[in-house]
Amino acid sequence: MWIEIAHFATIVALLLTLLQTSAPVVGVNMQRPVWIRVGRQASFMAAGLLTLAIMGVVISFLNHDFSVKYVAEHASRSLPMFYLTTALWGGHEGSLLFWAWLMALFTAIAVGWHWSTHARSIPWVLSILGAVTSGFLILVLFLSSPFERLTDPPFDGQDLNPLLQDPGMVFHPPFLYMGYVGFAIPFAFAVAALINGRITDEWILATRRWTLFSWAMLTTGIIFGAYWAYYELGWGGYWAWDPVENASFMPWLIATAFLHSVMVQERRRMFKIWNLFLIITTFALSLLGTFLVRSGVLSSVHAFASDPGRGVYILMFMAVVLLFSFGLLVFRADRLRTEVRLESPFSMEAAFLFNNLFLVIAGLTVLLGTLYPLAVETFGSSKVTVGAPYYNKVFIPIMLGILLLMGVGPLLVWRGVQMKSLLQSLTKPAMVGLAGAGLSLLVVVNHPYGAITVGLVLFVIHAHMTDVWHGIKKRMSNTGEGMTVALMGLFTRNKRRYGGFIVHFGILMMAMGFVGSGLFQEEKNLVLAQGDHVVIGRWKLVFEKIIDVEGKNWKAQEAVIQVEGPAGAFTLHPQKRVYQDHQMPTTEAAIFSGIREDLYVVLGDAVTETTWAFRIYRNPLVSWIWNGSGIMALGILFALLQGRRLSRKIAEKGTVELERGT
Amino acid sequence: MKNLWKVILLSVVVIILVLFALGLENDPRNIPSPLVGRPAPLFSAPALDDGPPIVMESFRGRWLLVNFWGSWCGSCVREHSYLIELARKTAKRNDFVMIGVDFKDTKEGGRSFLASLGNPGYRHVFDPDQKVAIDWGVYGAPETYLVDPTGIVRYKQVGPLYDGWFEQIALPIMEKKP
Repeated sequence: MWIEIAHFATIVALLLTLLQTSAPVVGVNMQRPVWIRVGRQASFMAAGLLTLAIMGVVISFLNHDFSVKYVAEHASRSLPMFYLTTALWGGHEGSLLFWAWLMALFTAIAVGWHWSTHARSIPWVLSILGAVTSGFLILVLFLSSPFERLTDPPFDGQDLNPLLQDPGMVFHPPFLYMGYVGFAIPFAFAVAALINGRITDEWILATRRWTLFSWAMLTTGIIFGAYWAYYELGWGGYWAWDPVENASFMPWLIATAFLHSVMVQERRRMFKIWNLFLIITTFALSLLGTFLVRSGVLSSVHAFASDPGRGVYILMFMAVVLLFSFGLLVFRADRLRTEVRLESPFSMEAAFLFNNLFLVIAGLTVLLGTLYPLAVETFGSSKVTVGAPYYNKVFIPIMLGILLLMGVGPLLVWRGVQMKSLLQSLTKPAMVGLAGAGLSLLVVVNHPYGAITVGLVLFVIHAHMTDVWHGIKKRMSNTGEGMTVALMGLFTRNKRRYGGFIVHFGILMMAMGFVGSGLFQEEKNLVLAQGDHVVIGRWKLVFEKIIDVEGKNWKAQEAVIQVEGPAGAFTLHPQKRVYQDHQMPTTEAAIFSGIREDLYVVLGDAVTETTWAFRIYRNPLVSWIWNGSGIMALGILFALLQGRRLSRKIAEKGTVELERGT
Repeated sequence: MKNLWKVILLSVVVIILVLFALGLENDPRNIPSPLVGRPAPLFSAPALDDGPPIVMESFRGRWLLVNFWGSWCGSCVREHSYLIELARKTAKRNDFVMIGVDFKDTKEGGRSFLASLGNPGYRHVFDPDQKVAIDWGVYGAPETYLVDPTGIVRYKQVGPLYDGWFEQIALPIMEKKP
């Protein structure tokens, strides 16, 4: 019953999104605003209907309605309630419906929000977003329907893949999708501006929060994925440069470039074409990610069910979106020439330019690494995989370059500083950085990249702190405030700038985590009998025994391991789980997480009656990655609090033509 | 020059789209065997019929078709009638011999499979703990290898053999080499 309601709601929603696509175009061409309002109502109703559809599928899950094919394939009676709800995005069909729902929801919010402030763009925004949503709904309804019934319903379902029964995996996809879909809004505003041919800076101002929000979601989604890989997959690492991981990382890199370069357009009215290019590319890469994941052109450890029919459709859809938007950009570019030129290579805008170049090159290297195997397979016959060695060679130097710029940035001002004063302000941070690098080389770090990273991190911290300190001092002398008050005042006055600083701190922390775990991981593969002990780093592990344990829908063999180390004595319980209805055992790594390092123990197979295989890792600084990402999230939240104050200031200067409502 | 970036941008987009379109033809399951062109792993393994062990070297000088199967494998049922026919058809050739490898199986399972579907007449290695299968890099069933008279693997078929396979795939390879 519920699934039919969901199905019907989706069909009507598709019709409404088609109306939403066409009506505003008619309205604009015939100068009949009523048609634009029809488009708006259609988008609201589509959002409502798709919410109903999502509810219908979720309720089918909660009711254990195994006559629904999608439910039967992704749930079972023993599946806990929590995973029963989130199994909605446990498979291909549900994920796409979820995508479409988010898209419709964001569209409705954006249209409601910007209706009166951006009247000129709204019709095109409605139309573009409607087209994208309907594209996804066609895919959902005709090629991968989650609404199919089984004529012969099984008593119990096939259950959710046990690897997905993990909190990390519950949150990974929705955040990623929110990021992908969120970028559709700035994308739509950008394309609307191109169609309008009146390319003011308003699209940038309108979508600043959307961009920040989507970037935050994408970041969180990627981190959740890495976290899940680390805790659930049991291979001791968190990132494998798998095509599907890259698919989420590429839009992130380009979006990060966009995030920085929009500031240049806001302040200096430069980089206009560049910004349009970046946001279109970001969204294009989001679609590309969907294509890569869902079509099966690349074999990947993610091994989703692939289907060439869907692949052909998504490819055609992507081709239309890409050719239309990039074509439009090329076609309209000449109207956008800016007269403003870079005045100095030692200016903020130049720093942002280099930051952008580095990020885009980083994105290109990932794209190349992702597509190269596909090209080789298509034009040759052999299979190749591009993995960590390639990325370590080309990617790390680029990232180190970005770290360097991150430190130089705060020392620069718009329009440029004198070479001499720049050198002056660079001296101290550079010396701190060099000293730190040298010291770390002497003490612990025996790898050039490690030492360089330590030096750069110190350099960036010093540069940021100096900037904040100058700000505080200035404020204290101007207003006579105390230090804490001045600090608070400084931060809240320009939330975006200092939110950015906080994000930078988070990234520095993560960089330390990447270096620590990437360069200094220690791994031991061994066979232990009961009572054996092993020493790794500062830890001594004693394998006590194997016991049988049981959960709601799984049984496991669990090793009891006594650990003695600097953090005192404790026990670790790595498991080998077999979920009900599944053959493949999954590993549940036991992890002790500390500030300095993680101890990571994986239980392998029984070798003889009394001996077991173990893999034991010492992963230095991994917790810094998770904590750093937390700091990043705080920074983004802080920056999101920034209202429209900046834009108003610019508007008063007359650089922005704000449009009044209809 | 001024418009160079436009040409480059659009070309890159088109190239990527074309690459994807061509790439859709790729089958992610079609993984080439690193064994093709290399000497086949040697083995001397027990036989399913409890007769003398089957020794790989004894087939030197003849083309050898090695078919990996198991009674647990559904697609093996599908290709079985073709295997019987192929064995009958090629029985007269003295340059061609077939063997089966029943892996990851029980002796009873393998024997009742042959008893109920018909015995193609050639001998089968019994490989319950996949010693041979792992050496040969088998990751599914059925898989079939064509080994030349000098012991080099010339072809690997993933998935069941089909009507006309021998004429379309195997014979051209066999006739190319003197």
